[in-house]
Amino acid sequence: MFSLMSVGAATSGLAQDNPYDTTVDIRMGARLFQAECGRCHGLDGKGNDETGAPDLTNGSFRSASTDAGLFNVIRDGISGTTMVGISWAPDNRVWQVVAYVRSLNPQTGDYDLAGDADSGARLFRGKGECVTCHIVNGAGGRLGPDLSTIGNRRDPEELRIDLMDPNETVEPRWWTVKVVRADGSVITGSRMSEDTFTVRVMDDAENLWHFVKSDLRSLERVETSPMPSASDGLSASEIDDLVAYLFSLRKES
Amino acid sequence: MKQWIVTLMLSASAASAGQSSPSAASMPSFSPVTWERLLHASDEPHNWLMYSGTLDSQRFSRLTTVSKDNVSKLELKWAYQIPEIDRAETVPLVVDGVMFITESPSNVVAVDARTGGLYWRYDHELPDDLRICCGRNNRGVAILGDTLFMSTLDAHLVAIDARTGSVRWDIEVADYTKGYSKTAAPLVVKDLVVTGIAGGEYGIRGFLDAYHADSGERVWRLHTIPGPEHPDNKTWAGDSWRTGGAPTWITGAYDPDLNLIYWGTGNPGPDWNGEVRLGDNLYSDSALAVNADSGELQWYFQFTPWDVHDWDAIQVPILTDMNLSGQSRKVMMWANRNGFYYTLDRVTGEFLVGTPFALQTWAQGLDEKGRPIREPGKLPTTDGNVVSPSVGGATNWWSAAYSPETELFYVNAFDGEQEFFIREQEYREGEQFTGGGAQNVEPNDKYKSAVRALDPRDGALRWEFPIQPRSTSGLLATAGGLVFGGSVDGYFYALDAATGEELWHIALGSRVHAAPLTYAVDGEQYVTIAAGNVVFTFGLD
Repeated sequence: MFSLMSVGAATSGLAQDNPYDTTVDIRMGARLFQAECGRCHGLDGKGNDETGAPDLTNGSFRSASTDAGLFNVIRDGISGTTMVGISWAPDNRVWQVVAYVRSLNPQTGDYDLAGDADSGARLFRGKGECVTCHIVNGAGGRLGPDLSTIGNRRDPEELRIDLMDPNETVEPRWWTVKVVRADGSVITGSRMSEDTFTVRVMDDAENLWHFVKSDLRSLERVETSPMPSASDGLSASEIDDLVAYLFSLRKES
Repeated sequence: MKQWIVTLMLSASAASAGQSSPSAASMPSFSPVTWERLLHASDEPHNWLMYSGTLDSQRFSRLTTVSKDNVSKLELKWAYQIPEIDRAETVPLVVDGVMFITESPSNVVAVDARTGGLYWRYDHELPDDLRICCGRNNRGVAILGDTLFMSTLDAHLVAIDARTGSVRWDIEVADYTKGYSKTAAPLVVKDLVVTGIAGGEYGIRGFLDAYHADSGERVWRLHTIPGPEHPDNKTWAGDSWRTGGAPTWITGAYDPDLNLIYWGTGNPGPDWNGEVRLGDNLYSDSALAVNADSGELQWYFQFTPWDVHDWDAIQVPILTDMNLSGQSRKVMMWANRNGFYYTLDRVTGEFLVGTPFALQTWAQGLDEKGRPIREPGKLPTTDGNVVSPSVGGATNWWSAAYSPETELFYVNAFDGEQEFFIREQEYREGEQFTGGGAQNVEPNDKYKSAVRALDPRDGALRWEFPIQPRSTSGLLATAGGLVFGGSVDGYFYALDAATGEELWHIALGSRVHAAPLTYAVDGEQYVTIAAGNVVFTFGLD
């Protein structure tokens, strides 16, 4: 075991930075990624809950942080998981996949944003009332997604759509369910998880509930977002500021 | 120290004797499984002697101890933890109180079927440069006499002594560096081990093989893509047949009266770019009827000509005899990944019944010969085109079941959709050769998934039991009036086979990718399912 670890460390030590990261390399890496990795991770690298393959577009990886670490994972796979490597491929082609995967994560330097992040932060906590439902760095409400690293997962254009049209993409975690219990009482809240036989809900007062479906009189799903559109109360420049702020919320690797 | 060990062994022995019935104490576990036993496997329902239980693959057990009246009292008897953390797709065999469980990546263990106690383990040594598209899986072994037969990910077929785990022979079926692999349980037919091949995403040329059980010598090979000497080779443009896929990665069925083996074939390759392989691409996505002695193709039925959505006909054929329109027919039942249910005459391959059993948007229907009438505008495109079923299919390799008592066919169905893309791709040996891909349009929670009970006479839906999408579990029907199944959210459940009413469920904590089986030891009936990487066995008090 010790010698194996030593070999891994030696490989990592050969090249911490990717020697194959030109635009052409990224394009070549995309081809190999789509052919070898796309079935589980998706052609766009956004992952697949069904296969258990994680989203590779947010710049944060479960089993690697450096380029050398990514190289090892892509080449060798992850032991004890369904992640298999492409150890048959020559090193340069593995590096090209590393370059492609890195390119999937939007970087702050890639965008020239019109808005001001500091103003956006004030709007987030003030006029926009975003903090009522969203946690950033441990503070805020629980009725919407934690946004502490939203900049890693969404690019500025996606963030603008999220703000203007919250119903464009609503993850099942943020659907609303309305439960009518056997005694006629009603509980409404966000759908924390649901399976074949049960459902778990956080109500508007942030209480946690668990229900067995067969005990209920009815269970209604609302697949839209309870979040209002930012365009209802904010100006275009204020939305620019919010986009800049949200995109700045990142965990830098 | 020595004295302590002896004392411990004596106490263990005494405890064991105290828990065992007189029959268990006087009878050894395991006895050789002759071809006669396999031929009449339904007559010994206390055993599970092959992947699908019996040669007709009905996955129906005559055991009745666990029934509609007491299934709610099922409780966990034992669990076996597979050491490799990967998803278990295994269907264990049970032979006279011994259970054989295959593990990821290509290992097998023999355990006591009452307790999970280990008899032996066989670990197959694998190279580190495997070509695996879809997980390091193994779905089970076959048995003849006292020898087990197992497929391995490096495309070997291994014969293993069922009493010790020692290797009897180990042969290379195909070259894994070219993209060939093996995951499915073989099927024993007389003295032959019939076995398929995986690798449809790697530009392989598929085949079905038969090997002598004693020697491992190959008796016949049927290429699932005919060579240039055969007229059907012209259903492949140019040289595309050479890399056309059509693998055989699930287990088939056998009719001893007709001496025909029935086996499904997988997708043509590249999966999504059909422009480079114009034509029907025979015999991809087909049911094949194969003479068991010669390996000659008797007939074929192609479900999806010129498939461009990766809808493998990798389903287990289920055989029964039934009265259809006043005529007694030997039939084969098949719910296909393409969204249609079929009943075929298994003597001739004649199409008898065909109807959608799940959401499909790619075909207007089937013509009088069962050939799909394509809906225009449903091919993969560069920008993506949304089509139902999804690439995973309306169903897939997970086993369906049939109950001769209810005369219903049970299948796990998914009403999904995906966006299909086409890409140009050159073939490189040993690399994936798919020519595109598919991705989700909506979260799976948006779609419907259900266990569906179909009448094989007309394909009509009799009942359905909704489950969280998308289950990859197989099903089991029993003479106790039950259907057992699993779900992606980690449940194992029992339904009333006649009505679909849920009678029992338990949360197992991980996805079910395997099919259930049932058996009995000392008169006590057990039900087994793998979930995550654990094999769970349940019984009554």
